[in-house]
Amino acid sequence: MDTTPENSSLTSSATGQSEPVGSGVESSASSLLSLRDITKSFGAVQALRHVDLDIPAGQVTALIGDNGAGKSTLIKTISGIWAPTSGTMYWQGQGVQVHTPRDASHLGIATVYQDLALCDNLDVVQNMYLGRESTRAGLLDEITMELATTQTLKDLAVTSVKSVRQVVGSLSGGQRQAVAVARAVMRESKLVILDEPTAALGVTQTAQVLELIRTLSSKGIAVLLISHNLNDVFSVADRIAVMYLGTLVHHGPIANYDRNSAVEMITTGKSDRVPSSLASSN
Amino acid sequence: MSTVETPVAPSDDAPPLSQLRRLAAFATSQQAILFLVLVAVMCFFDFQNARFFGTSEFGNLIVDFSTAILIAVAEMYVITSGGIDLSVGSTIAFSGVIGAYAMQFLENHHFGEFGSLLVGTIACAGVGALVGLINALLITKARLVPFVATLVTLSMGEGLALVFSKGGTVGYDPGAAVWSATGFWVFTWLSVIVLVITAISGIVLHFTRYGRYNFAIGSNPFAARAAGINVNLHVASVYVLSGVLAGLNGMIWYFQSSGGAPQNGIGLELEAIAAVVIGGVSLTGGVGRFSGIILGVAILTVVHDGLTFINVATTWNEVVVAAFIALAAVLQSLGSGARKRT
Repeated sequence: MDTTPENSSLTSSATGQSEPVGSGVESSASSLLSLRDITKSFGAVQALRHVDLDIPAGQVTALIGDNGAGKSTLIKTISGIWAPTSGTMYWQGQGVQVHTPRDASHLGIATVYQDLALCDNLDVVQNMYLGRESTRAGLLDEITMELATTQTLKDLAVTSVKSVRQVVGSLSGGQRQAVAVARAVMRESKLVILDEPTAALGVTQTAQVLELIRTLSSKGIAVLLISHNLNDVFSVADRIAVMYLGTLVHHGPIANYDRNSAVEMITTGKSDRVPSSLASSN
Repeated sequence: MSTVETPVAPSDDAPPLSQLRRLAAFATSQQAILFLVLVAVMCFFDFQNARFFGTSEFGNLIVDFSTAILIAVAEMYVITSGGIDLSVGSTIAFSGVIGAYAMQFLENHHFGEFGSLLVGTIACAGVGALVGLINALLITKARLVPFVATLVTLSMGEGLALVFSKGGTVGYDPGAAVWSATGFWVFTWLSVIVLVITAISGIVLHFTRYGRYNFAIGSNPFAARAAGINVNLHVASVYVLSGVLAGLNGMIWYFQSSGGAPQNGIGLELEAIAAVVIGGVSLTGGVGRFSGIILGVAILTVVHDGLTFINVATTWNEVVVAAFIALAAVLQSLGSGARKRT
C-alpha cells in the first residue's frame, strides 16, 4: 500500500472548519479511521489533547508511548468505552459518533483489551459469539456457532487451541490472545485494536501472536497495535504513532524511524533524528 | 478466507489432555455426586421407615419441593449474574400479605374464587416486581453492592409485611388450601404450575441469549459490556425476575398457610442460597448448572421432610443442612483448585 506522505483531499475535508493541523500532517488517501482534534478530560485531568491520527486499511499502525501517555485512553475512546470530550472521528471519510462499544462494533471496530475482556467461565465458542449469538427459534444454535468457531481458528492458522469447548480460563496467555483476535476477525471487523497483545507472553507465544497480526493485515484488516515492546513494533508495524503526555507527537511510516528515535520520542516527546517534515507535531 | 500457512510451534502451552479430561470428569461428577447423595438420603429414610416412598409422602415431598424451588431459581439467576438477593424471603411475606388483602377485597365484593385467586397471584407477582425494581435501582443507579441493596429491601419487606398485617394473618382463606391440595396422582395442580415455571426458567438460563448473558456478566461484566451487552439493563431485569419469582412464592405460601402471614418465608433466603451452593453454583458468579439447584433443593427437601418423618427433632435439621453445605463447598473448592492447576 502506498504510504507516501501527502495531504489528501480527505484530510482537508475531514478537518473541515477545525484548526488546520501542522503542515507536516500526512494522511493516506485510503484512511479507514481518521481522528481529528480528539480531546478527553476526566475532571481537571486532560488525558488526551488534540489528537489527530489516520489509520489506513490493510496496515499495522503501532501506537507507542510511555505509561500514562494516553494510549489506553485513546483506544477506549475509539472503541466507545467513553465518548471524547471534543473532536471528531471519521470512518471511511464519514463523520461518526461512537458512544458505546456497540456503536464501534457496528462500524467494524473490534478491540482486544489488555485484560482480554474474555469471560473465563465461558468456553471458547461462547466467548467468540458473546453479544451476537446465533439462535434458532429463540434458542441458542450451538452447532452452527461451534462449526464457525472451528473454521475461523483454522483460517487464522490457530492450532494450539485443542477444543473449542474448553473454558477460556483454562487456556494459556497465547491461546487466550488468539481467541480474542479470532473473535474480532469473525465479526468481520475492518479495524482490530490490540492493546499490549504480547505483554504477558513468552517467546514462542509472542511469535504466534505477531504472525497472527501479519495474517490480519494480509487480509486487508487495519490493525492498531499498542505496545511497549519495540521489537514487536519494528517486526510487524507499517506505521508508527507516538504519544507523549496525552499528545500525539509524531506519526508516519515505520521507515522514518529507528529504535533510537522511537525511544527518544517516547521518553522526551521529540527527536532530532526524525525530520519534522515527515512527522506531525503539536 | 484463505488459510495462511504459518509455522505453529508445538503447543507446549496447551494443558495436557488427560488433565483436561480429568477436569471435565470432575465438573460432571459434581452433579453425579449430588444425585448419589440424594438417592442415598432417600434410601436412608426409606430404610428407617418403609412408608417413606409411599405415594402420600412422595406427594408431600413434591409439594415441599414446589414451595422451596422458586426462590432458589431466583437466587440461581441472581448469583450466576454475579450478585446476591437477600430480599426473597421477606418478599414472600410482604407479597403474601398484600396479595391476601387484594383477594379479601375481591371476595368481599363477590368476585369468584378462581378470579380472586388469579388477581391475587398477579398482585403477589406485582409486589415482587416492585421490590425487585427497588433492588435494581439501588444496584444499577445508586451503585450499591447487591448485598447491601437487598439487605435494605429485606428489612423493608419484613417491616412492611408486619405493618400492613398488624402482626396477624390476613384474609383467612381455607378454600385456598383446599384448592391447592387438588391434583392428580402425586402432583397438585399448584406444583405442576411451579414445575412448569421451573422448567422454563432452566431452559431460558441454559439455552437462550438471556441466560448466556447472565453467565457472561457474572463471569466478567467488563467483557460483557465490551461485547455490546447492556449490562445494567440485564442486571436490573434479573432482580425484577427474582422479585417476581419470590412474589409467586408468596402466593404459594398463601395457599399453604390459608392466608398472608408476616412470618411466611422469613429467613428462607438463606435456605435458597444454601440450596444453590449445594447445587454447585459459584457465589462469585458465572458458574452453575440448573440441574445442580434442582438437586440441591431436592436434597434439602428430602432431609427436612425425612427427619420429621423418622421423628428426629426438627432442631437437628439445620445441623444436617450445615453438613451438606460444607460438603458441597469443599467439593467446589477442590474443583476450582483443579482448574487452577491446569
